Amino acid sequence: MSEPLADGVGVARAGHFETVAQQRAAATLGIWAWLITELLLFSALFLVALITRIQHPEATVAAAQHLKFWIGATNTVVLIGSSLTMSMAIEFSRIGWQRAMVRTMLATAALGSLFLVLKGYEYYADWDEHMMPFLSGRPFALAETPAARLFVNLYYVATLLHALHLFTGIALLLGMTWMAARAGFLARHQNWIEVYGLYWHFIDLVWILAFPILYVVNR
Amino acid sequence: MTPSHDSLQLWPAAVSTVASETDLLILAFTVLTLLLTVPVFVAITYFALRYREGSEADRSPSGIRSNLIEISWMLIPFLLTLIFFVWGARMFIASKTAPPDAMVIEAVGRQWMWKFQHPTGQAEINDLHVPIGQPIRLRIISQDVIHALYLPAVRLQVAALPDRYTDLWFKADRTGTYHLYCSEYCGTDHSVMGGEITFMNPGDYQDWLTHAGAQQGRVAAGRTLYEAYGCAGCHEPGSAVKAPSLAGLYGSQVKLADGRTVTADDGWLREKILNPNGDRLADGYKQVMPSFAGRIPEDELGTLIDFLKAYPTSQAADATR
Amino acid sequence: MSASGSIGGTARREPHAPESTIGRKADYLHAESTLRSWFLATDHKRIAILYLTSITGFFVIGALAAGIVRLALVVPNGAIMTNDTYNKAFTIHGVVMVWFFLIPSIPATFGNFLIPLMIGAKDLAFPKLNLTSWYVFMAGALFTLVSVVLGGVDTGWTFYAPLSTAFSNTWVLPALIGVTIVGFSSILTGLNFVVTIHTMRAPGMTWFKLPIFVWTHYATSLIFLLATPVITTALILLIMERGFHIGVFDPAYGGDPVLFQHLFWFYSHPAVYIMVLPGMGVISEIVPAFAQKKLFGYRFVAYASIGLASVTFFVWGHHMFVNGQSDLASLVFSALSFAVAVPSAVKVYNWTATIHKGSLRLDTPMLYAMGYIGLFVLGGLTGLYLATLSINQHIHATYFVVAHFHYIMVGGTVLAFLGGLHFWWPKFTGRMYSEPWGRVSALLIFLGFNVTFFPQFILGYLGMPRRYATYPPEFQLLNVLSSAGATILAAGYLFPMLYLVYSLWFGRKAAANPWNAKGLEWETASPPPTHNFLTPPEVPRIPYDYPIQAQESRDQHG
Repeated sequence: MSEPLADGVGVARAGHFETVAQQRAAATLGIWAWLITELLLFSALFLVALITRIQHPEATVAAAQHLKFWIGATNTVVLIGSSLTMSMAIEFSRIGWQRAMVRTMLATAALGSLFLVLKGYEYYADWDEHMMPFLSGRPFALAETPAARLFVNLYYVATLLHALHLFTGIALLLGMTWMAARAGFLARHQNWIEVYGLYWHFIDLVWILAFPILYVVNR
Repeated sequence: MTPSHDSLQLWPAAVSTVASETDLLILAFTVLTLLLTVPVFVAITYFALRYREGSEADRSPSGIRSNLIEISWMLIPFLLTLIFFVWGARMFIASKTAPPDAMVIEAVGRQWMWKFQHPTGQAEINDLHVPIGQPIRLRIISQDVIHALYLPAVRLQVAALPDRYTDLWFKADRTGTYHLYCSEYCGTDHSVMGGEITFMNPGDYQDWLTHAGAQQGRVAAGRTLYEAYGCAGCHEPGSAVKAPSLAGLYGSQVKLADGRTVTADDGWLREKILNPNGDRLADGYKQVMPSFAGRIPEDELGTLIDFLKAYPTSQAADATR
Repeated sequence: MSASGSIGGTARREPHAPESTIGRKADYLHAESTLRSWFLATDHKRIAILYLTSITGFFVIGALAAGIVRLALVVPNGAIMTNDTYNKAFTIHGVVMVWFFLIPSIPATFGNFLIPLMIGAKDLAFPKLNLTSWYVFMAGALFTLVSVVLGGVDTGWTFYAPLSTAFSNTWVLPALIGVTIVGFSSILTGLNFVVTIHTMRAPGMTWFKLPIFVWTHYATSLIFLLATPVITTALILLIMERGFHIGVFDPAYGGDPVLFQHLFWFYSHPAVYIMVLPGMGVISEIVPAFAQKKLFGYRFVAYASIGLASVTFFVWGHHMFVNGQSDLASLVFSALSFAVAVPSAVKVYNWTATIHKGSLRLDTPMLYAMGYIGLFVLGGLTGLYLATLSINQHIHATYFVVAHFHYIMVGGTVLAFLGGLHFWWPKFTGRMYSEPWGRVSALLIFLGFNVTFFPQFILGYLGMPRRYATYPPEFQLLNVLSSAGATILAAGYLFPMLYLVYSLWFGRKAAANPWNAKGLEWETASPPPTHNFLTPPEVPRIPYDYPIQAQESRDQHG
């Protein structure tokens, strides 16, 4: 928040705060606290994934070989790109370039949606390869190594939870973009962009953790 | 053979030296607890009277440094209790290392019964007979949910897990019959998943193995299975679901819903238990019994049918009247 | 000596604040009176009242379930109800009491109401988020109640796999979803408190001028933030396994059911401190007020709160000594448990030392506080029996455990809750309750509690396992005694519900500071105006600025 803001850019003080600085500090601390909580939520899942790998190394590797490494890698690049556009949006908001900000926010949402589309295709491929052991109608491709189910199931829980976060993130982003396109937004709520940007970077970070833990180390 | 217990006991029976030492540890710990708490109770009561509002009491600052007090009253109880940590840890480690010559009894937990198998092959359900004077090691596993085998008389318990073996060993030196429990909550009949453990002289144990253990056990075991699998819940006279009574069923002629009549022999009973409905439905009854195919292992089916064979016919007269 | 004469007198009890503000439009209760103004309230005080009402409802549900449990255990053979009914009753008792009463009890009500007042702020940092967390709480509650109405759950509040995922035939899924949702409510409340305490303190309100109540809530909020997400993960995994067969705990294909226990206790042990620390905070406010003396060892208690909240993350394995974890892990967890239990149990020495040479008034809140001190120290030290490895092998999962944690949860948290409720009732409502009735109820609860739970220590030592619908007949006498105690306890709970509600309309109007207590919450009117302070409060030179100050050589400035 130490970044200097352009004229006409700022935050309108809510009644229960004494100063704008206090309000901004509260918002920033709040989002960080939330992100720490979210990080722990995913960390517990990743920890379980690592424990599963230690307990059943062969089955985990067998299951991980069915993951679409290149889709995962592409998605990593897509999300890093979206973090970049989000950072640009934050910069534009600070210097008051509202139209550029709105465009980069839309680009961010588009990249996030691209991620979801690719992820959806990956799920389809999983389905096609009989890699959904929980579907009673489709026998599991790795039925001879039952422990492979553990890793596959964790993969679904982790990626679905991440996709849910991303989906919520896109919805919030689009809603905020709609509001941010209106005149006077930056004079009143510039810090929304900053706070939201942290959340977006966090979604990115979770994927950057998930990709190696699920896709890379088990290959 | 039933445990003799007074209506109020304040001291549980102990049959091993480890159990007695555990008691000693608990007693010593209780003394320490009293040492740490009674002064607080006394002090609160005394201060409440002495320093109540308006009383003529000395309220001048005592001049004692609070940091010193704070550190001492945290450190001294901590160091005192550490003695008990070491004592307990030592006993715990000993309880985890069974002597190599221990006699191994297999224990299997399942909703809602225990099955024990002696090294000589005899099996018993819910009850356990063991010799004293020699180490006994129980190798424990579960077939479904998590259970725990708890033997208060030796002050030991350990979980029965579905995916790996756990161990519990003891060496009893006094005879007697005591409770045996499941201590990890496991569903509906958790509280009846247990029986009695009988500590016997080695000679008596050998005797039991050759006589009672082999014979008397079979029908009783079948009765336990009949209750454990929930058969009794519907088939016992007087139960809420009006299923046909099984007393005297064995060998009798059964009229079926489709008009045929069959003889209830071993083979038909086996099929009927595994796949009760369809063309095996008894005349006048509805299709409510679940299939037990895959739920009751083959050896236990045999035991169950043995029990049905022995189900007294005199009772059958009462039930059908 | 000179101090004792003037302080021991009665003159100082005279309230020094202006006359009551009841009836004025200014106070938060009367500012608006529509239903909408309550259900869309963003005022932290109103949200606290919303929470207070809802958790009281859950307390009644949980208490009724406990009544069913104690009724069943009057006879040993289970003749009163079926095993399934009994199992559902204790499960509902546990789920409702832990997640819908104990965890939100003090933080979401008193914490919500008092933290902004105590630090001199107008509200919490995020008022709308505060309201959201109440709605999230109620949504979770709804799911759990649906599960109860449809037929109940029988897994125990611990939801151990694979019983909960594959074997139970009851309504586990809605209960699991309910508890998961409630976790988010905890997280949002904790987040709000952390941010508020960091950023909203009045000018001059430095960290070491904060009341211990705020310190303990800060520590509690850290646990909310750092532990709750882990149980959310564990519960999500359970939900996926039970609902969609997307499981990781199922031993049928190599899953590890004990892994669930690790995740569960990684949260649920710190959750004990979510319940205990706020209670310590309440007691640390009541005792100095009724002794008119500075809290003994203020800095120690403040540091201890943070210390306990940290160490409590490393002792979860002591719930699993006999559940198949490695022996080395058991040794380490046992040692660490000793390290956390002793300092928390000896906190009672601080309160005892505060009473020493004080000027005591034994009003209702103080009676609860004294009961708390006695019961909490017993609860804490019996925890050490359980932390001792070889003793644990005998009394694990017996009634000893039940007695131990009820001494902590009821003897500790519930007594602190009731003490705090009486202490701040004039501030919340602007009315005084009936003091004689208050004292009688406090004594009744203390008596009933001990008759209920002390026999259970003996039952556990004798080897009666917990969660038993039927039990050997030799345990009947002690069980009947326990059930009789529960009846006294129930009567003790009933009285406050009646006379407190009565006082809302017929109670004497309360002064701004009826106890002559210190702390910024007493500087404003009773009940406080909507934005808490009409004029910015003046932060005192030191916390607990009572007439009697213990001489603490290195502690003069707090």
